[in-house]
Amino acid sequence: VHMCGAAPPLERPGERRGVEMKKLYGEDAAKIQGMETAMQLTFDRKCDKKQPKYWPVIPLRL
Amino acid sequence: TTVSASSAADAHGVALRDEQRARSLLRERFLRSLLAMCGRPVRFSMYEKVQVEAKFGASDIDVLNFQVSDLQTPIGVQKEALLRCPDIITYNFEI
Amino acid sequence: MNPWRQKMPLEWQRYVNNEVKVVADEKRQYQGWVYTVDPVSASIVLVNPQEDGRAHVTVVMGHAVEKVELLQDGGEEIAQRLSSLFSPDGVQTVSR
Repeated sequence: VHMCGAAPPLERPGERRGVEMKKLYGEDAAKIQGMETAMQLTFDRKCDKKQPKYWPVIPLRL
Repeated sequence: TTVSASSAADAHGVALRDEQRARSLLRERFLRSLLAMCGRPVRFSMYEKVQVEAKFGASDIDVLNFQVSDLQTPIGVQKEALLRCPDIITYNFEI
Repeated sequence: MNPWRQKMPLEWQRYVNNEVKVVADEKRQYQGWVYTVDPVSASIVLVNPQEDGRAHVTVVMGHAVEKVELLQDGGEEIAQRLSSLFSPDGVQTVSR
């Protein structure tokens, strides 16, 4: 792939969230982000596997 | 003026750090409480006086959805379900 | 958004290890010791220790919180009890 040297560097995925996490959690940002990433992965994996449907079908609160 | 400006900046830095530390402690504890629920029976009190019980599976990190199993609804059991957190008033469990 | 959700982390932290009474939507009332307040959802984790060493945990979702009343400070004993309850091995890890 031909890359033009003058092109601005692309923002890497997760980079923006990393900056936000640092602002919110300071020196503990990496620890909190690690815990959150693990938790979100677990959630995504379980949803993929079990294909749960919303209950109730219609939200109680809009 | 340089001294007072830098001490003001220091004071701001300290306040920010205190705020960040408080947020980290609170968030880490909350994440731990979610982890502690995994696999346990949890009772959910929802709006419109709806009460259900289910085995807790997982939460997304924005606390918008809970993935649960064996949800006991007033009209029967749903094997796998997602609860919308905005529908919930409280939930409780034993540890 | 309700005033409880707009508080800052240092304000929420003041409730940690304290006994509170929470009034929530649909006139529900809860009492217990505050383990934490989630800074993302403002949900309050309340603990009521049982005689047998176990504990009853009630979480009031931040969006449903109407009022929180401070009752008493739990002191060091409650602080220890609460933190060990949720640690993976049941032992409080001391940060280095």
